[in-house]
Amino acid sequence: MLLNTIIILPFIASLLIGLLGKDYLRLNYFIALSSSVILFLLSLYLLYLFDPLSNEYQFQTQINWITQFNIQYYIGIDGISLPLILLTTFITPLVIMTSNTSQKKNLHQYLAAFLILESLMIGVFSSLDAFLFYIFWEAMLIPMFIIIGVWGGTNRIYATVKFFLYTFLGSVFMLLALIYLHFKTGSYAINDFYNADLSLNEQIIIFLAFLFAFGVKIPMWPVHTWLPDAHVEAPTGGSVILAAILLKMGGYGFLRFSLPIATEGAVYLSGFMIVLSLIAIIYIGMVAIAQNDMKKLIAYSSISHMGFVTLGCFVYLYSSNDSLNLETTNLAINGAMIQMISHGLISAALFLCIGVMYDRLHTRKISDYGGVITVMPKFGALMVFFALSNAALPGTSGFVGEFIIILASFKINAWIAMMAATTLVIGAFYTLWMLKRVIFGTVVNEKINSLKEITFIESLPLCLLATSILAIGLWPGPLFDLMSNSINALSEFILSKAS
Amino acid sequence: MNITELKYLAPEIIIASGICVLVLIKSFHRLRSINLLSVLIGTLTPLIALLSMVFIFNNPYEIILNGQVVIDTLGSGLKITAYGLCALIVLATNINQINNKSELILIELFALLGISILCSASNLLVIYLGLETLALSLYGLVASNRKSVKSSEAAMKYFVLGSIASGLFLYGISLIYGLYGSINILDFNNLSVDTSIELQIAIGFIICGIVFKFGAFPFHSWVPDSYQGSTNSVALFISTVPKIGAFALLYRLLIDSFYSLSSLWSSFLLVIGIASLIYGNIVALSQNQIRRLLGYSAIGHIGFILIAISAINQTAIESSLLYLLIYVIMTLATFIALELLSSENKSIDTINDLKGLNNSHPWVALMLLFCMFSMIGIPPFIGFYAKWIVLSTLLKMDMIYTAIIAIIITVIAAYYYLRIVWYMYFEKSDIPLMKDTSTIIQKSLFFTIGSSLLLLGLIPETLISLIGRLFNQIY
Repeated sequence: MLLNTIIILPFIASLLIGLLGKDYLRLNYFIALSSSVILFLLSLYLLYLFDPLSNEYQFQTQINWITQFNIQYYIGIDGISLPLILLTTFITPLVIMTSNTSQKKNLHQYLAAFLILESLMIGVFSSLDAFLFYIFWEAMLIPMFIIIGVWGGTNRIYATVKFFLYTFLGSVFMLLALIYLHFKTGSYAINDFYNADLSLNEQIIIFLAFLFAFGVKIPMWPVHTWLPDAHVEAPTGGSVILAAILLKMGGYGFLRFSLPIATEGAVYLSGFMIVLSLIAIIYIGMVAIAQNDMKKLIAYSSISHMGFVTLGCFVYLYSSNDSLNLETTNLAINGAMIQMISHGLISAALFLCIGVMYDRLHTRKISDYGGVITVMPKFGALMVFFALSNAALPGTSGFVGEFIIILASFKINAWIAMMAATTLVIGAFYTLWMLKRVIFGTVVNEKINSLKEITFIESLPLCLLATSILAIGLWPGPLFDLMSNSINALSEFILSKAS
Repeated sequence: MNITELKYLAPEIIIASGICVLVLIKSFHRLRSINLLSVLIGTLTPLIALLSMVFIFNNPYEIILNGQVVIDTLGSGLKITAYGLCALIVLATNINQINNKSELILIELFALLGISILCSASNLLVIYLGLETLALSLYGLVASNRKSVKSSEAAMKYFVLGSIASGLFLYGISLIYGLYGSINILDFNNLSVDTSIELQIAIGFIICGIVFKFGAFPFHSWVPDSYQGSTNSVALFISTVPKIGAFALLYRLLIDSFYSLSSLWSSFLLVIGIASLIYGNIVALSQNQIRRLLGYSAIGHIGFILIAISAINQTAIESSLLYLLIYVIMTLATFIALELLSSENKSIDTINDLKGLNNSHPWVALMLLFCMFSMIGIPPFIGFYAKWIVLSTLLKMDMIYTAIIAIIITVIAAYYYLRIVWYMYFEKSDIPLMKDTSTIIQKSLFFTIGSSLLLLGLIPETLISLIGRLFNQIY
């Protein structure tokens, strides 16, 4: 019941805001903010009630929906989906909080779109029926399309249409795979898919179909090109949600669908997946160095960091000599999860920072900035912290995820680990170089001198994000405890199917 | 003829009487109030006909009038849909000078009569009769905007092409009669597969007639022209109700009679379906005239329906009918929106006219957004279920390559629907706000249908089981 409330509440709030219309600006803002904060508190309550020792799905609701096709409204969460739901409910209020600072037309629609998006995102993370999952997954495109298209930058239409078509093309192949699995098992429940009897060829094809959907969403090289465009043109809030949560759905999809359903296909293609991940980590990292637009730089850095997630998801399957190892598998998947959460927090923070600067100077070009810290010391300090955590400084959450994944890769193959580890240099290079040019250095023009220090409402989200990044970086134990049982069950299942 | 058999013909008789009353009233006066009266009659006639169906609907399978007419649940279901649609459309149509002078409602009732006959005819000549009643009314409708050159041109084209198609169809019928010595479709139920060239030609000609009615490739060229040439009020009708008639035609001829020859016609339909799907959606990409765009999009949707039918199994026909119904609901909502925004002086013709709609009419824009995303096939809108159920059918019959073509084209087609959304939401309007002249009835109709795209999408089971019920009798 609690989980249902969490899914439905933002939707009701958005309906209310839509009905009130554009005349009640403050009221709308209040409704949106309070409902999303209440939602966060509810999800904390969910965390409190959640039993981390069980690896069953919890808070289940199962209602027949389309009986002719044995489709159910079937939701529930485990240790893998709960952290991502918490991330969603944590980031959304921050986005809504900052939405008021920049002057926007039709603010009520903006708020409503974000609330609907939140509803759908939580739905994606809690669906246990593949059909329901697909509905939430696809429906998300609509608010995102509108958010980028209406409130985005100058080239927004190109960016949003590209985003839509790319992700739509990816997910229709997933739909075919789901329908195929339905005919194999007679059901759409994900649990039934896990036990589907599939030949190696079928598994490879299904894996590829899922790869299309999830690979575009993550995004993996070479289907990543929509992301820099979408990030650059999206409004700050859109970029934050896109980077922090939407990209995580790809990783979540791999863990929930590809790996347990098409395990042998995944083993067969693991080398391929590792190569794609390494290309994302190294090549896209280098591409990030060359960017002169801050948002684009962070977008490429996101792709590079998400490469670690895919590496963590697949690296343990690539063991040439000895049999698959449960410990390594657990380590790698834990790393992938931590990396997803941590990247969610860090990229959200960086996009918010860029949003703060953009609101003041209306430019994202690195060359237009310089010496920002001299006029905005508080902001500068926060930005430096986030940039350092993006470069995986020990003590921040960015370090934990990447370190664990490198460790797991090292157990499989030293070369993979070494290549992945180059990100510590490349990542530091592009983030610190951006930092040097934007935050430090001399004041390049008069406009910089006129910058105003960040307001309370702008700094609050950044401080909250900084706290959580530090918390996970210094004491990741609770997060591991939350996930470990579910991840262990998943690893055991994958290994039992793979061998 | 047994006099009790007449009760099965009640709806047709009611419509015919409605037409007579309307003609009589029209010939006496040309007052403004008459205009409202004709709307009233135009709404009530189909509604009364619909009510009269209630007594027939649950009847068992019945063959009446010496095998000329067959009463079954599917035919009744199609009739009910057509009557309901027609009543809605008359209500939603703008009451203005052009529509009044052209006797729009009267001709629409004639077309409805034709469809009604098509739905329950079981004799090739009766089918032809229904087909021509429908076709002649449609020519009249397309030509009804007498001020516009485009309208006359479209009507002329439609008439010439339509005559050719009718001729081919009639030729096919005569070949069938020559081969089997019967024109009653119930006699063709258990034909053995025969690959004689005459039979193939006959089936081919009959398919030409059907495909023309649907407006599928390569008999599509009248669709965009007649949509563009007519007014929004006319397009509202010709884009929705006749499609029900076309489905009835297809069902009676191919499923009800020549089912045993399915190996002959299914590949025909598959090729035509794929060709329409590709052609309609690709050409629609470059259209700016909104009715023309929707015309090409209709060709694409029809392609989907034909592909579904060509899969030949029980779910294939059900899923194609489901697709058709959902398509009709979406199209209805879209055209009502255009009708709502149009007035006598200013009509919505190009997608430029929709610029900035979100600022002037936010709720209409939202509903149109529902329509567009529904047409793309994005859940949770009802259009998604149409696509999904057809894809399910294709995968079930191992037609994986067809399914892959269908989804790739779907993604390409998304572009032009998205374009309409972006004109409404992302562009600023450079013309002043459109004045709202729509009636409260039109508005409430529109919002009911528009929101039903979402609501039916949340509870799709109702629609799916309803379709299943129509087919109960057959299997």
